[in-house]
Amino acid sequence: MSDQLVARIKEIIVETLALEDVDPTTIETDAPLFGEGLGLDSIDALELALAFHKEFGVRTHENDENNREYYESVASLAKFIAAKQAEGAASES
Amino acid sequence: MIETLKHWIRRLSVAITVGAYSVVAPVGYTILAILCFCWRKDPIRRARRLQSITSSAYRFMHRWLGWTRITVFDHKKALPELPDGPFVVIANHPTLMDVTAVTAVIGGACSIVKPALFQRAMIKPLMVGLGNVEGPGPDPIRIGRVVDDCVERLRWGLPVVIFPEGTRSPRAGLGRFGRVAFEIACRAKVPLVSLTITCKPLYLSKQVTLFRPPHPTPHLEIEVLAVDQPDSLGSDSRVLRKTAEQRYHAWLRKVAGEASPSYDPAPEETECQTS
Repeated sequence: MSDQLVARIKEIIVETLALEDVDPTTIETDAPLFGEGLGLDSIDALELALAFHKEFGVRTHENDENNREYYESVASLAKFIAAKQAEGAASES
Repeated sequence: MIETLKHWIRRLSVAITVGAYSVVAPVGYTILAILCFCWRKDPIRRARRLQSITSSAYRFMHRWLGWTRITVFDHKKALPELPDGPFVVIANHPTLMDVTAVTAVIGGACSIVKPALFQRAMIKPLMVGLGNVEGPGPDPIRIGRVVDDCVERLRWGLPVVIFPEGTRSPRAGLGRFGRVAFEIACRAKVPLVSLTITCKPLYLSKQVTLFRPPHPTPHLEIEVLAVDQPDSLGSDSRVLRKTAEQRYHAWLRKVAGEASPSYDPAPEETECQTS
């Protein structure tokens, strides 16, 4: 996963969820996003899913049993987005 | 000596009540299942009728609990502040009796049910019939469907009850509020009713279990803390949540300040740790 992608994900989290008092650079890449850590909830996850679709063209499917894992931290999100983008590129070529 | 005897009488009342429930409940579930089947053609009407029956059953249950001095709850106490038409109800969640008490007072409401319970073969037809909504489970993205389903129930004219902490409240405190209830109220453009629930001494909390009823008899009370129109707060679920959360914390501070010095929440012997 690239540092650029990680930084952009952090920016999207702050912009989408209007976390006015949070500096994107202070979000820990491996820290949990839900519960402890940033303390996000499922509605936040839904809004992030829409934002990632808009920004990266990556769709998060409902009922995917791995969704909780994908949205666990910035690191897991970056891995998920990078993998989906690579899948998309492979299917296009 | 007398105090110990009173505790044992209370425990005996609970045992008799649980025994009576385990005999009556299967009969009740069977009747509801038959009604579910008979009224299957019109799901909205079915949900309203079943909610009304359930609400009556909960009122009877609370009357019984009063007769047996297990808990005292005046379900007849009117809440004049409740709006006409559908609304979203939020409340703190100090005890397991909250759901039945709120349903008894407001006369039936849909709620979000854990998937593990909702999907049980014997329960599912009743859950569907009552218009309850299956929770998202571990998949956070499924919350979109949950919100849509709750908005639909509100359009049917049924209130929706949600405990925004997602679990029972910590003792004399409040867990962090999730945003689901507020998002539903904003999307459905219906009032958000904040109820306060108090149970003194505390019973059926995470610490005080069913067979360790406290003495004296717990009194359960429900009051309306506020009624918010989402559009008055810009239909923004974040603002609505923040406003409600602050209001509940202010109420808790007020309640803590008013606590009588002679008030004993629950004898030490009624305490036991649960996970």
